[in-house]
Amino acid sequence: MLEMLIAGFTAVLTFKIILLIVLGVILGLIFGSIPGLTATMAIAICLPITYGMEPAAGMSLLMGLYIGGVSGGLIPAILLKLPGTPSSIATTFDGYPMAQKGLAGKAFSYAILASFFGGLLSIIVLILISPPLGNLAVQFGPFEYFAIVIFSLTLIASLSGDSISKGIMAGLLGIGFAMVGSAPIDAFPRFTFGFSSLDAGFNLLPVLIGLFAISEILLTAEQKMKTKLKADYSNSGYRLTIKELAGQGWNFLRSSLIGLGIGILPGIGGGTSNLVAYAAAKNQSKNPEKFGTGIPDGVVASESSNNAAIGGALVPLVSLGIPGDTVTAMLLGGLVLHGLQPGPMLIQTHGDIVYGIFAALLIANVFMLAFLYLGMRGFIKLLSIPQHILLPIIITLCVVGAYGVNNRLFDVGALLFFGVIGYLMMKFNFPLTPLVLGFILGPLLETNLRRGLMLSQGDFTPFLTEPIAAAFLLLTFFSLFFKFWKNRKNRKDLNVTDHNNVTS
Amino acid sequence: MKGKISRSILIIAMLLLSVILGACSEKEASNQSAGKEGPKQTSEKSSYPSKPIQVIVPAGAGGDTDLNARLLGKYLEKELGQPIVISNVNGAGGSVGAKQVLDSNPDGYNVLFFHNSLLLNKILGLVDYSYDSFKLAGISLLDQGNTFIVNSKSKFKDLKDMIAYAKKNPGKVTIATEVGGFTHLQLKALEKDQGIKLNIVDVGSASEKITALMGNRVDIVPTSLGLVTDYIKSKKFRTLGIMAKDRVDLMPDVPTFIEQGANVSFEKFFFYGFPKETPDDVVEKFSKAVEKVVNNKEYIEEAKKSLVTPTYMNPQEAFDYIKETDEYYKELNSDQ
Repeated sequence: MLEMLIAGFTAVLTFKIILLIVLGVILGLIFGSIPGLTATMAIAICLPITYGMEPAAGMSLLMGLYIGGVSGGLIPAILLKLPGTPSSIATTFDGYPMAQKGLAGKAFSYAILASFFGGLLSIIVLILISPPLGNLAVQFGPFEYFAIVIFSLTLIASLSGDSISKGIMAGLLGIGFAMVGSAPIDAFPRFTFGFSSLDAGFNLLPVLIGLFAISEILLTAEQKMKTKLKADYSNSGYRLTIKELAGQGWNFLRSSLIGLGIGILPGIGGGTSNLVAYAAAKNQSKNPEKFGTGIPDGVVASESSNNAAIGGALVPLVSLGIPGDTVTAMLLGGLVLHGLQPGPMLIQTHGDIVYGIFAALLIANVFMLAFLYLGMRGFIKLLSIPQHILLPIIITLCVVGAYGVNNRLFDVGALLFFGVIGYLMMKFNFPLTPLVLGFILGPLLETNLRRGLMLSQGDFTPFLTEPIAAAFLLLTFFSLFFKFWKNRKNRKDLNVTDHNNVTS
Repeated sequence: MKGKISRSILIIAMLLLSVILGACSEKEASNQSAGKEGPKQTSEKSSYPSKPIQVIVPAGAGGDTDLNARLLGKYLEKELGQPIVISNVNGAGGSVGAKQVLDSNPDGYNVLFFHNSLLLNKILGLVDYSYDSFKLAGISLLDQGNTFIVNSKSKFKDLKDMIAYAKKNPGKVTIATEVGGFTHLQLKALEKDQGIKLNIVDVGSASEKITALMGNRVDIVPTSLGLVTDYIKSKKFRTLGIMAKDRVDLMPDVPTFIEQGANVSFEKFFFYGFPKETPDDVVEKFSKAVEKVVNNKEYIEEAKKSLVTPTYMNPQEAFDYIKETDEYYKELNSDQ
């Protein structure tokens, strides 16, 4: 193991490959930080370039892009309340309020360290125990996925802000939007109204960027017309004390494990992990009401989980040749074009390359930390660019990104459509996150329900009797019950204090 | 102070951008110059191609369609002297990408690269166009390794075993597919030929099928042999045979279904299709270039690795071949 890793490092520690990793991380950070451009796109663009390289060199570049692309999203999330990638939605919840309080520097420090350690932990897990974890992941079938998705959907309750009923409405709206296009399994077109461009439904990226970025820009534009807003970002410190860091230990570990777990399961992915980790941190916190007002816990939860999902997603790829998300699917294609047949033998037949990939990941993670730390002061200065110049540029990049998803102009239309939806929802105080969660999880729920029923030939009982599925459903039940009970208690307490006030 | 820093950031950003753009245009320029030196005599007849050609792959990056398209594209660039840009337009079983090519400008710079599923989308009534809505530029390769795989601990030693068991236990053999996909049709054909009833379940894409087989959720997975060689070598999975007409040189030890008494044969073919109004000489020129690539030794050597058989059919041959296939599929689907 250790020898292999050392061999991996020696293969990768050449000037050319280090340069490629550096380039990959920088390019990845740029793609990640621009709303609309993602790690997936960075890899799609660079994939053909790697065909001409040695396998180890090519894969090193791609690993740099992957790590950079997932990490870069934290920059606009904290500074502008725009999630740069789907994996940093939850970073906006507390990162931006922190920045508004003049703590942008601290928010960055927390986010960057969380990203680094989350990534590091997941890479170590990947190197040490990926074969058993991969074998565990393949035990998850439709019944298990169904239960996990149900569990994740109930998180809407924690992420819906003031009004749970509005949260549920937004969640259902998200599921509704996800139903547009070809139905899962039989591909029958639904809600397309005869427009063939709707056959494939809405893509996640334009929906997400429209809802969070375009709507936010519309809102800013409106506020600008009324008042001249100027927040002061200059007096922020960057340093974190040991005590502050140690206080995040358990939160960090829990969030990383959630990210790792969700990453390992093929098909769920980093877009969900940050939201689940955030909700878990909020539910377990002693003061959940402070979440959303700018506390470091939220930033740490989101950023450690999304980077931990990287190592997670690579587990089934490396150990079994199964891609967990769009990025790893492309990495798999890259391996095949280099003449490597992905599968359970990859680690034996091409151990040199696999360990080279591990080494590249570790190196890229360090460079990510270094570049973000060095760049931090610079990013904050970005805010000194007047918004009437910065925001139109961002809109342009969003449009480019939406078009780049599938090379279709339709996605640009969808982007603007969801921008208006998001704007209206914010105007009427509807939370946006449940909509995204519904949009991502709705199709997973439907597909796995139908697949499960095909497998059991129409019998519903396995959904309740399969052990892993049953465990998740019980967990769902208890977490809902607990939430309900807590709300009741809070209300009672309030009533009592109200009563006291009246009598006194 | 502030202005200075933001200016320097701007400069760095512009530098990075120019490096990226520079790299791209350099590549283009070198390709263009190669094109000018290349086929000069033909340029009097038609100047096609004078700009990059976009090949639409209606499937995700990294899949077999995508890999085949990219490998062919690499060699086509040399033949045509223009960059071949592979665009993945994914969604709705490939119909989104196919439709995009049909609606595109018929100038020879938009071409579809796809396989059998195009026919199926029409037969299942999901779209109203098929192979005859395109001007075919020919077939470039065949995948004859369509196979059934089982877990190595499976009780089925070969196809005969499986059929015998299925005859005694109708609906008990669970077999994975993607409903409406190519493998679904293979299962229908086998059920019809042998008079058996299988429990056909949808588990999703090729890699999800492998996951399901590893997790023992299904008994059999129909897939392409080229996608699972590593699993077979590592003795995790076994093959029950392939659906080719005769044994295939690339995999001489694998028996066919026909040898084992099941009259079922399928080939996956990959073709290029232009919009209907594309000029004939343009399509012909593209087709000739495909022919040269398919006969190129280097290309054949590289294609072998994924167990596909480079095979050239000119537009007319391809049309007849696909027409015959289409009629067979329709017949299979008519009496379900």
